[in-house]
Amino acid sequence: MTDPKKMKKNKEKSEKIGVYICYCGGNISDHVDVEKVREAAEKFPGVAVARTNSFMCSDPGQELIIEDLKNGVVDRVVVASCAPSLHENTFRSAITRAGANPYIYDHANIREQVSWVLHGDKATYKAEKLVAAATGKAGLLEPLDPIRVNARKHATVIGGGIAGLKAARVLADRGLEVVLIEKTPFLGGNAAGLDTVAPLGEQCSALIAELAKGVLEHTAITVLTRSEVVGFNGYVGNYNLQVKTTLSSSSAFDKAAGHVVPFEGDNADTPTEQNVKTGAVVLATGFRSYQPKTGEYGFDDHREVLTLPEFIKQLSEVNCSGDILELNGRKIRAMAVIHCVGSRQIPGIHEEDENGYLNEYCSRTCCSSILHAANTVKEQFPKTNIYDLYRDIRTYGRGQEELYDRAARNRVVFLRFEAGNSPTVSANDDGSDYALKVTIEDGLTFSEEIEVPVDLVVLATGMEAGDVSDLVSMMKLPVGTDKFLQEVHPKLAPVEMSVSGIFLAGTAQAPMNISEACNGAAAAAVKTASLLSKGYLELDPYVAAVDQDLCRGTGACVDACLADGALEMIDAETENGTEKKARVVPALCLGCGACVAVCPTGAIDLKGWSLKQYEAMVDMIVADELIDI
Amino acid sequence: MLITENLTRNFLMATTVQENKILILATESCAYPGADSVGQAHSSYPANTYILRVRAPVMFPERFYLDCFKKGISGIIIMSCGEECPYEGAYHAMAKRIDRVYQMMKKLDIDIRRLRITAICTVCNRPFLKEVNMMNDIVQELGPPVLKESQPPVTEQEPA
Amino acid sequence: MTDGQTITCDALVVGGGIAGLQSALDLADQDFSVVIIEKDLSIGGKMIRLSKVFPTLDCSSCITTPKMASAAHHKNITIYTWCDLKELTSNKGSVRARVTQKPRYVDQDKCIGCRKCEYSCPVYVPDPEQGGFCATKAIRIPFSNAIPQTAALDPESCMLCGKCEKICPTGAVDYFQKPFDFTIEATTTILSTGFEMTTIEGKPQYGDGKVPNVVTALQMERLLAPHGPYNRVLRPSDGMEPDSIAFVQCAGSRDKSMGIPYCSRFCCMYAIKQAMLLSGALPLADIYIYYMDIRAFGKGYEQFYQTAKAMGIGFIKGKVGRIEEAENGSVAVRFEAQDGTGVTTENHDLVVLSLGVLPDWSPEGICSVSTAEDHFIQTVQPSIGPTLTSRQGIFVAGAASGPKDIVDSISEAGAAAMEASNYIIAQGK
Repeated sequence: MTDPKKMKKNKEKSEKIGVYICYCGGNISDHVDVEKVREAAEKFPGVAVARTNSFMCSDPGQELIIEDLKNGVVDRVVVASCAPSLHENTFRSAITRAGANPYIYDHANIREQVSWVLHGDKATYKAEKLVAAATGKAGLLEPLDPIRVNARKHATVIGGGIAGLKAARVLADRGLEVVLIEKTPFLGGNAAGLDTVAPLGEQCSALIAELAKGVLEHTAITVLTRSEVVGFNGYVGNYNLQVKTTLSSSSAFDKAAGHVVPFEGDNADTPTEQNVKTGAVVLATGFRSYQPKTGEYGFDDHREVLTLPEFIKQLSEVNCSGDILELNGRKIRAMAVIHCVGSRQIPGIHEEDENGYLNEYCSRTCCSSILHAANTVKEQFPKTNIYDLYRDIRTYGRGQEELYDRAARNRVVFLRFEAGNSPTVSANDDGSDYALKVTIEDGLTFSEEIEVPVDLVVLATGMEAGDVSDLVSMMKLPVGTDKFLQEVHPKLAPVEMSVSGIFLAGTAQAPMNISEACNGAAAAAVKTASLLSKGYLELDPYVAAVDQDLCRGTGACVDACLADGALEMIDAETENGTEKKARVVPALCLGCGACVAVCPTGAIDLKGWSLKQYEAMVDMIVADELIDI
Repeated sequence: MLITENLTRNFLMATTVQENKILILATESCAYPGADSVGQAHSSYPANTYILRVRAPVMFPERFYLDCFKKGISGIIIMSCGEECPYEGAYHAMAKRIDRVYQMMKKLDIDIRRLRITAICTVCNRPFLKEVNMMNDIVQELGPPVLKESQPPVTEQEPA
Repeated sequence: MTDGQTITCDALVVGGGIAGLQSALDLADQDFSVVIIEKDLSIGGKMIRLSKVFPTLDCSSCITTPKMASAAHHKNITIYTWCDLKELTSNKGSVRARVTQKPRYVDQDKCIGCRKCEYSCPVYVPDPEQGGFCATKAIRIPFSNAIPQTAALDPESCMLCGKCEKICPTGAVDYFQKPFDFTIEATTTILSTGFEMTTIEGKPQYGDGKVPNVVTALQMERLLAPHGPYNRVLRPSDGMEPDSIAFVQCAGSRDKSMGIPYCSRFCCMYAIKQAMLLSGALPLADIYIYYMDIRAFGKGYEQFYQTAKAMGIGFIKGKVGRIEEAENGSVAVRFEAQDGTGVTTENHDLVVLSLGVLPDWSPEGICSVSTAEDHFIQTVQPSIGPTLTSRQGIFVAGAASGPKDIVDSISEAGAAAMEASNYIIAQGK
């Protein structure tokens, strides 16, 4: 029998590393002398071949790698190109197509970390170093096999607004079991407060009713209202959600006209908590409407200043005839609407909130929404004068520009202001009986200062990220600078979150209208379906592994382990009789490496990210003469 | 454990340090994409920085850091996810370990400013630049580490 | 594939641009079989022809090529390029497409993409993939990232000298190739037929295409692209490095007189992006954007716009009424400034028009899905089912149902794939 220790000693580093360096069509090659890097790489230990291509990610580029693997020229691959987050999978699948194991590959990030931050010789030198480090690691890479785990054909949708309803319905139609969790007693979310929606004027309540009917009638969907996720663990395909259902009565929540109440009354007398076992989670947690600060355009100081949602609600309840709008018994002879309230805020111009924060983004929906409301008023009450105070009119979508045209035809008066010169709203003091006056320097008429007496001011308040701080900390979700949940990449992975098996739907991600939210929801659903429909999925093989020969059974790793049950001590039969040895349970191992640091004999290491590989990388980084030969 | 004697090692024997190299251990879920985000913003920072993508810096034992200094690395920044760490408890375990590394560095007369632990998120462009520039100032001031002649052997075992 | 053959699959995707590719991938990843037909020589659509994309400034190629490659290599996806869709009928849970394979005059199975034909061809023609700014050959691989990497001969320009046929190492050149028809039978179809831009010709107020140094936005994409015609930004008439560049927004959109009353939706953002890239390429140049409203509505777009303003790009609110030739190749832009100065004329070295966006394909005479007044494909549940057309089992994604930026197109492509998946399942297949 061969001594296994000897076998290990004999196992050498790969001497057939292929290095593939990308020009990125100038993105890299404008700053890094790519051919010089290639020449240097050819001389690194273990490198068999180094090649360049203008786009390594393109088909011809990938073909270089595939050919070399197929011809046996290389058995380890290093690609030097953009950030690994963009193309790691691209190259892994190319390697798979060549019939090789995808884990024999390492990546050198010479765009985001070199050519985009450095220029000239320094850039070339650093690129060489990063390629050198990657070859150091690649030499020690071993083929790995993904861990196959069963995946529940079950998805959980959090949030019962438009996006949540849409996602739940299409997932159930796709054949998955679905649990829909909604924290209020109602379905429909924020949209339920809208009356008719821009641009087509559809009744929002009808849209919600249709979506909710599809959900409530679907046998594969369980709807849990008054419920919140209070616990979360597990891993992709096998998550456990602790869901708490409270009994607070419906009156504790603001019910809007369009809301659907799936369950009348309270049918239990104690709060319940249940465990939901699910394969993936779709976050459709929605937005909250911006609440202006006291004094912002006269808000709170004057009761005649309303937010857009307040105005929409009051308008939908109007029951007056005549050609002038009446709200709460008050004739609205003239009104002003002000755009971009709580949106498009600019540092140095707008006032930060108590946390030093500004909403720098555009809320996307308010222009169409307020023009739709203005048209609704003008077409019913033509004698109500409307002044529209805007920065840019953003009626971008299908049918939206028509709203703008129609508003102009309806004689809405448009006045334009600059961000740094916002209009002011104050009590009217000209002796007339208008409650307010709005003052603006109108950019459309030679920046003339105009004072408009009005009965009402409507603030086109935008969207803010919903408060999901509990989910963010429970699920470790990335949040963007705009406080909305952050997708992995807007184009490559637009509904995916960095936590595998968690997807984004609707306005939890960014402001969007109903149509866009439904598209986002269905897009999140299709990724969920791709993930779960097979009933199993393959996980990264980056787990700890114990070298039984080196393990002395100290148990230090078990103590250090952060995942319950991922490491255990077993009695192993060896030539010295029964000995204590550590054993890894791969499906539970997080791959964090906490065990690696504490092993006194170096017996445990992380597959694919081993300590030995890092040591080799450091060696290559400090080896200067490699570059200077 | 030092790297094994082999061809590569022999090849490396003649190592001469040319620049004050800073090693950055950046977590793959926060700090590494954070560094990419700095790149996407085309903000430049010192060239002597080498970013290694790590799953969690908790995997590195005390001796890894000391070995790096021995090999000629002038400064190390651990860019973790901080409280956002996807592995519960990992940050705490690592922070405790770094405290021990500081003690060992003092014994070896290595300026402890050469090792820094910080949290960098995916959009932390300014903190990233600040950390890197700060460490660069330190290593430019200190130069490459010179270890004591009669250095005690580096303990491999974690204190119980 | 041969004449008269019938191919069956779960889903047919019409159009291999970014929306079609995303739909196809999202279906194929669920193990549905997908066929993509593409009218062009390569998949990748408009996106593969762009320089960089807003708001991340990723190079467009870096985002498109992996999707192209993974579609091309997907075990469940088959791609046919250089095809015309002649007829598409749908009937109770199945669709039937009659497709014409246009001749490449190069045998796709034999061609190895070595480009020897291209190098030997003596006929130079303006390269449509480079905005016509530089030359290519009458036989060529359309562009460097094209998939498939198969040469095609342009019969309009070829003078039949026979050089390519002689030099081809695999005997792939076939001057006598004929078009032929084949049939695709599928359960469902996604129409992702994309958009095209209006032309400068026919717009006398913008010089009818006769004023030198007035270019389209797509031409500017090529000037800025990493593999552009000049490898730098030069103005086409005399190769001068422009010192003053102006973008004219809504040059054909939001204007009933030009037949496009709607907003073309992504022009503001690409103009801002191009302006930013230009200020990087030509740091000393003055760059202006003439606009009516800046529509930076997507995630991160407004911040992108504010960055551009901070970089010193000039935003001039005013409608451009006329563009005329001025002295020394410069272009006179007459506009009505809204700051009170009235009608003003400014001269620029180079002017970029943000032309209107039109559908690239009309179903008229081919397929019975309805179009709306704007000629884009009509969606019957625009709010809660934005990918549903007037025909059951036929879905629409991307700019085929109205101008849409890449992010929105990709999202909608996923949504269409979801609806299509559920349609396939509902048919019990």
